[in-house]
Amino acid sequence: MSIEPFNRLVKLAARAFYDDITTKGDNQPKTGRSDNRGIAVVVLDALTRRQWVREEDLAKNLKLHSKQLRRTLRFLEEEKLITRDHRRETAKGAKIFSAAVAATADGPHHSKEGDEKIKMHTHSYCSLDYAQVYDVVRYRMHRMKKKLKDELEDKNTVQEYICPNCSRRYTALDALRLISFEDEYFHCENCNGELVAESDKLAAVQGVDGDDNVRKRRHEKLKDMLQKMEAQLKPLVEQLSRVKDLPVPEFGTLLAWEARASAAARGINGDLNGNDPSKSSQGYGGTPMPFVGETKVEVAFSGAEGTGVDAKSESENTSLKVLPPWMIKKGMNLTKEQRGEVKDESKTDAGSASAQFSDDKKSLANDDDKTNIQDEYVKAYYAAILKKQQELEEAAKGQQELSSTEVTESVANTNSSRQVGMKAKREEDEDDDIEWEEAPIGGNANENYKVDLNVEASALVEEEEEEDDDVDWEEG
Amino acid sequence: MFFHIVLERNMQLHPRHFGRNLRENLVSKLMKDVEGTCSGRHGFVVAITGIENIGKGLIRDGTGFVTFPVKYQCVVFRPFKGEILEAVVTMVNKMGFFAEAGPVQIFVSNHLIPDDMEFQSGDVPNYTTSDGSVKIQKDSEVRLKIIGTRVDATEIFCIGTIKDDFLGVINDPSAA
Repeated sequence: MSIEPFNRLVKLAARAFYDDITTKGDNQPKTGRSDNRGIAVVVLDALTRRQWVREEDLAKNLKLHSKQLRRTLRFLEEEKLITRDHRRETAKGAKIFSAAVAATADGPHHSKEGDEKIKMHTHSYCSLDYAQVYDVVRYRMHRMKKKLKDELEDKNTVQEYICPNCSRRYTALDALRLISFEDEYFHCENCNGELVAESDKLAAVQGVDGDDNVRKRRHEKLKDMLQKMEAQLKPLVEQLSRVKDLPVPEFGTLLAWEARASAAARGINGDLNGNDPSKSSQGYGGTPMPFVGETKVEVAFSGAEGTGVDAKSESENTSLKVLPPWMIKKGMNLTKEQRGEVKDESKTDAGSASAQFSDDKKSLANDDDKTNIQDEYVKAYYAAILKKQQELEEAAKGQQELSSTEVTESVANTNSSRQVGMKAKREEDEDDDIEWEEAPIGGNANENYKVDLNVEASALVEEEEEEDDDVDWEEG
Repeated sequence: MFFHIVLERNMQLHPRHFGRNLRENLVSKLMKDVEGTCSGRHGFVVAITGIENIGKGLIRDGTGFVTFPVKYQCVVFRPFKGEILEAVVTMVNKMGFFAEAGPVQIFVSNHLIPDDMEFQSGDVPNYTTSDGSVKIQKDSEVRLKIIGTRVDATEIFCIGTIKDDFLGVINDPSAA
């Protein structure tokens, strides 16, 4: 499940087909300096080392002018090699992406924490579309071969005729008009000269008389061309066949990718989630990237809320946004309220009341229902669950007290940070959308407590989760 | 390819046709006007198979003519690129040969005739294989593939090939 063969494919294809692509318009003077042939190769190579990348960043890294890069990218998009995504976002939104990048690619990590302006900018992102690249390359080779073969066998080619006197050209489609009934030859409409068949375009250099000799020579030339093509494209063909049976790496849409990248980041923070039982059952639909520990995300939730979110994220194929690093630092402590809220949201799927949801999720969940009524309801519901959870925690704590404190401690740290991250993200989103709700960060009383629940009581919790799920469905 | 479609046309009818046979007159005039015509969009109108409906007539100012909008069903023939047709050869010359499939004229140029067929001039110009077993001359029936069409507003012209599997002479008149 490596991306490497595909990267090689992209590189080979770039050198084979996009070597001499220049994105300059015809009207611009072609001086030595403005000669940007090969730029497509450079850009494609750069993209093989990245995933989704903001075009400004890419331009910066490649030391290209963003205009020039954009022109190249547009060309590549038309060639169906890359996918692009444009969205209007605040500086904050951009930051989310940066965090995602930091979690995965080799891209630089810039998180400018200062500017919280609500200025909206349209940012463009691009990434390679490996599945499509594979198809495009295959189709291109097929077309090349077909064209040469057709030409070789004189198949499906419209014969052209040329007037030796005035060098006016006609095609076989004009035949009816050109036929003269005196002799049975074609005559020029212009000068009434006798037309001669023109040998084919690929070998049109030779003389215009269509005798056998010329035909034979043309045949040889075409055959030669075909052989040369096969020899020169052999590495590409081999790479194609090598790649044929491999699963194609997919980044998904920008949103999905961001979600997964952030999930991976969280996964790195909290490794212990790797062996959680609930993980296996809740994978994402998409093809996993090598670096993405996608399934780890789910585990980050403690207890009941876990499944709710997971189920949803599964269905939506996007779960959570990146955790901005600055949020992590802020607080390692979580209140129960917070947790409860999170849970509620995930359950109700409205994300309205507590509004801790990430933008992604909101947009996915058709979050049109931000009504106060729901808010009220959610709060009540949440209170109930909180209670329940407390009971559970009690039980869990009882069990857990026995386990070594050290482990617990570490667990606590990682988990909590992760949770904070999630929450932080939500808070951020909330800021974007709903001003009136305060993100409740506060009571740090029972952090360990909760963490314990998360880790130890996952088995216990699952029962609860099921119940909750039921409730969830009813609501839905 | 043949299609059975509904078309509409505004028919102008002279007042002398008015009377109890108005409808019959209208239909026969429609057939005379429309059958055998060619439009680039629909192809050749082969036959009218029925009248869908005849709208209200409108008397035109100045003349006594009345305009009826008529909807009619008809069979149209429209050649397409890649289509296989059977056609009758109408003319053979050095450049290739012309053939007709119903109303459509098709030209097959000599480089789309199999390489083993040579042009033989003479009284009956023809294309013949070296062993003389296959001969294309006037009135031969050939199966050909259309590789290009030229569609004008009132005319459709095709070029075809017989240089493919299962194409070529299907009935030789001289052998019969």
